[in-house]
Amino acid sequence: MSRNQNTISKGIDWSLVWCYIALVTIGIFMIFANEYREGQNWFEPILSQKTDYAKQILWAGICAVLATFILLTDSKFFTATANLLYAFGLLLCVAAIVIGSEVKGSKSWLVLGGFRLQPSELTKVFTALALAKFISRQETDFSRTKSQIIAAAIAISPAIITILQNETGLALVYFSFFLVMYREGLPPFVLIVGASLGVLLILSLLYPPKTLFIVFTILAVVVLFLLRRFYRRKRIILPLIIACWGFAIGVSVFAVPYVMDNVMKSYQVDRIYSMVGRQYSPKDPVKRAEIEKKRAENKGQNVSEYNVIQSKIAIGSGGLVGKGYLKGTQTRYDFVPEQRTDFIFCTIGEGFGFVGSIIFLGLYAFLLFRIIFVAERQRSTFSRVYAYGVASIIFIHILINICMTIGLAPVIGIPLPLISYGGSSLLTFTMLIFILIRLDADRQMVLR
Amino acid sequence: MDVKKDILWRVYLCFIAMVLICAVIFGKAFYIQQVQGQHWRSLGDTLHLRWEEVEAERGTIFSEDGQMLSTSIPQFDIYIDFAADGLREKSGKRFRENIDSLSLGLAALFKDKSADEYKRLLNKGYKEKSRYFSLKKKISYREYQKMLKLPLVREGRNKSGFIADVKSIRLNPYQMLAYRTIGLDRENAQKIGLEQTYDAVLRGTTGKRMVRFIAGGVAIPVDEDDANAIDPQNGKDIITTLDMHMQEITENALMKMMVGNEAVHGCAIVMEVKTGKIKAIANLGRRPDGSYFEDFNYALTPTEPGSTFKLATLIAALEDKKVNLNNTVNIEGGSWQYAGRTVWDSEQHGLYQVTVKKAFEESSNVGMAKLVVNGYGNTPSQFINHLKKLKLDETTGVDLVGERKPVIYKPGSKYWSATTLPWMSFGYNLMVTPMHTAMLYNAVANNGKMLKPYLVNTVVEKGKVVKQIEPVVVNEKICSEETLKQLNECLRGVCTEGTATSLFKKAPYTVAGKTGTALVADGNRGYADKIYQSSFAGFFPAENPQYTIVVVVKNKPHAAKFYGAAVAGPVFKEISDRLYTLYVKQNDTYYTATSQKDTGWFQYAGNTNEVKQVFSKLKMNYATPAKETDVVSVISQNGKAALYNINVTQKQMPSLKGLALKDAVAICENIGLKVAVNGRGKVINQSVQAGSSIAKGQMITIEFK
Repeated sequence: MSRNQNTISKGIDWSLVWCYIALVTIGIFMIFANEYREGQNWFEPILSQKTDYAKQILWAGICAVLATFILLTDSKFFTATANLLYAFGLLLCVAAIVIGSEVKGSKSWLVLGGFRLQPSELTKVFTALALAKFISRQETDFSRTKSQIIAAAIAISPAIITILQNETGLALVYFSFFLVMYREGLPPFVLIVGASLGVLLILSLLYPPKTLFIVFTILAVVVLFLLRRFYRRKRIILPLIIACWGFAIGVSVFAVPYVMDNVMKSYQVDRIYSMVGRQYSPKDPVKRAEIEKKRAENKGQNVSEYNVIQSKIAIGSGGLVGKGYLKGTQTRYDFVPEQRTDFIFCTIGEGFGFVGSIIFLGLYAFLLFRIIFVAERQRSTFSRVYAYGVASIIFIHILINICMTIGLAPVIGIPLPLISYGGSSLLTFTMLIFILIRLDADRQMVLR
Repeated sequence: MDVKKDILWRVYLCFIAMVLICAVIFGKAFYIQQVQGQHWRSLGDTLHLRWEEVEAERGTIFSEDGQMLSTSIPQFDIYIDFAADGLREKSGKRFRENIDSLSLGLAALFKDKSADEYKRLLNKGYKEKSRYFSLKKKISYREYQKMLKLPLVREGRNKSGFIADVKSIRLNPYQMLAYRTIGLDRENAQKIGLEQTYDAVLRGTTGKRMVRFIAGGVAIPVDEDDANAIDPQNGKDIITTLDMHMQEITENALMKMMVGNEAVHGCAIVMEVKTGKIKAIANLGRRPDGSYFEDFNYALTPTEPGSTFKLATLIAALEDKKVNLNNTVNIEGGSWQYAGRTVWDSEQHGLYQVTVKKAFEESSNVGMAKLVVNGYGNTPSQFINHLKKLKLDETTGVDLVGERKPVIYKPGSKYWSATTLPWMSFGYNLMVTPMHTAMLYNAVANNGKMLKPYLVNTVVEKGKVVKQIEPVVVNEKICSEETLKQLNECLRGVCTEGTATSLFKKAPYTVAGKTGTALVADGNRGYADKIYQSSFAGFFPAENPQYTIVVVVKNKPHAAKFYGAAVAGPVFKEISDRLYTLYVKQNDTYYTATSQKDTGWFQYAGNTNEVKQVFSKLKMNYATPAKETDVVSVISQNGKAALYNINVTQKQMPSLKGLALKDAVAICENIGLKVAVNGRGKVINQSVQAGSSIAKGQMITIEFK
């Protein structure tokens, strides 16, 4: 189907565009709120680019230009270059490890002149495109395990590189592509295993291995006893139960403590423990000393606990309707760390309270449901898979970020889409959303 | 269709999962904000809100002539937060770029370490990532201001990490002058002197306010008009009766004698006769290294006063009409056995039958002892009652904490013996403070009206007098007019015919006073070490007393000079000489010849015509240069006055030395300078030195004396 070249607005889903504009604007106002001090000139910094909100405004401008370019691009461009871009993205990520500069312990930044770029952010877009491209190939039959493995590999490889960059938080995002794959026919088994693994992990964090061992064993014996009549009819049951028991024991009693003590950094473990409300004290005296030192530096509180407590204070003190815009004290006097990036939600929580937070989250929910709605109306598999990819990425960002600020998840440094301060992040989500809008504008077309 | 069903099922599941997760998030958010809201709010408040004390500014202590004696100045302790973001960003770029210039600047400013040492110090702190690295303590406001201009530091606290801890310390600009009396307000130590006595007035009240701690340890007041906040009340100032000029005279006179005689300690008190104001008070004690310092309030410490106490004896005897001045008394050549002990006169004068007046003038212990033994031998209480009437048995009540009670034994007490009464008559076997002696002599000077000595004139708040302290009369009339007349006669006699005759022979004013030389018991060694306490108490001019002066010096063991007239007397005289010329003479209704001043060398200057006019009036010869300028300076040349030209040009600063105010200001303003003056008299110093080039509008400070 041919497209009228003169009207780029044709077929565009305006509700998505407005939703996007609303979120970016809220973001700028929130950054302004926790940076601006009474009596300052608010306009001058915009010209001199000295403050974060000023920079964010500039980034929003750049994004507007980028969005226009994306809307002017032919949809076929994205299908055609998907694999190329993906390869390019991976290359950049590897390059960041090799030649990148270190920021706060992670080697994920490329410095180009006065400009810093985090390639692993951009690679999210490319991965979404590449996954869509692979699944939408005519020769791909996603019901086959081989295809599923390849798809998983496409999603996981950037995650592995990102972990190597020491950006564990960002790596987690790539796992959201399993949601897409699930929609496209990944057997529920995978997700069930994944989910039960998650439950096991949390359990093994909450309770000591010995208790878990006893509980699992009793559980297994009880199940064995209850199902004793079925052994003959279905021979698989007995080994299955035993395998489940073995798996549970293996994970909670051996794997988790091993990973905690030997693979993860002590501060990471500390964060995870603090989230479930337990005090971490490693057996290794060197590590224990390290943790103690860190706690001492932070006056008895551990860092992540401090962050979350400050964040909770901010949100909690908002009450039902909040303190009002520019009235918050926690977020405005730099109590909450990383408050313009990871903890920006605090500003909303403190300033606008429960009602404001719900309305704000409602806006996100609208965005997500709209994207899924858009996804399901696509004729081409490519567009649909891509749309689901976008929804998944945004969803997992929001999920982890909000959960982290209200103490439901460990402190993982990932930004709130379109709201948090940061050029790379804003650029990435702009590309994700506007490529989707572009593809959606051509929804009658079958893209491959 | 099966596929469609499967997909729908999956999508629904996704939706349900999302809805569930959203519900959990909403639930948690609701829980934090609504259920736990109060908890988090109060937690936030306890973490960051605090009542903070707001220190009140301590008041200043002034002298009567308006000089600051003790005031508060800020002092800064400098710390560096090496973990400051600004300092460490871009892996410490800012720190590395500035460390060299900063080290140089610090070395040049504080001059206590070399630039290299500072650099090493800073690098060490940076490496350790110390958050509270002590760089330098106790720097002054001026140094602090200069430090703020150094590289890195001038970029502000967030970027440089420099933190200043401000403290208020007390400064005594006059240092040693009346140091003990003004007192101290030190950290972690007992206050002393006026600082202690008037602490409640000076201190003010500490205020409090609610502050919120924000990033970087900065606290900001939460609510400007919080009803619970209390504004600090700054301390009030006090204006003392001390006069710094007199204090300086007193302290110098005493110091000179103490150093010359290597005395152990001494004090001198100058009291204004009509009011009881203490105009100067010096307390000097010898330190192990041989120097002297205001280390103890000797003026308020009771000791055996010695012969100056004979005045009290005489008052009692005259009042009770036990004797009159013309009665004779046998002073036995200077020694007299009484109750198994020998009364010795301190000088072997070889006199026998003398009048009471002569016995007093010669400071005869035998004479005084006989007087009381004869007069009060059977009624010692009568004598003691007289001492009580003279308030010698209680503290003077001077407004200085730390005064100790005098010791006067009473008949019947276990310390009372047969020799107590006669020994008391010449100032032994009892202890009073030099302040008591001053009060007693002052009462005689003040026509019998005894006044309480005091140190603080007024309490001032924000320039307004809030409390005026008036002289307090302790005893309206200590004795009859007749007795007073006789006392004056005796005290005059001491200085004209008695022990202090030679001292005041040439004085242009009259003095009424009494010398004192007392052997001092030295702990358990008793009187064996021959430690003498020399004293002199008196007032002047005798006809119209203005000032009472008491000098008490405790000499070293076996000192060569120990007589009151030789040690304390000269101190008295030096003080009285200078007070007389400075303060008394102008008020003196009598004409008194001033001592001739050495005019062999002089320099003064003035308007040429005026100088000439004076010379011609005085019919003096003088040498003149060929061509005179408007202003000339006069210099002695071969004993004759010679005029020298002062060339005034717009380019070079002329010498102003010797000019009076009018001429000096005229010259300076003519050449376009702005003038500030200091003092009065003739120019002794100019801030722009003679010969240096000048610019229009430049500021010059001229000192006159």
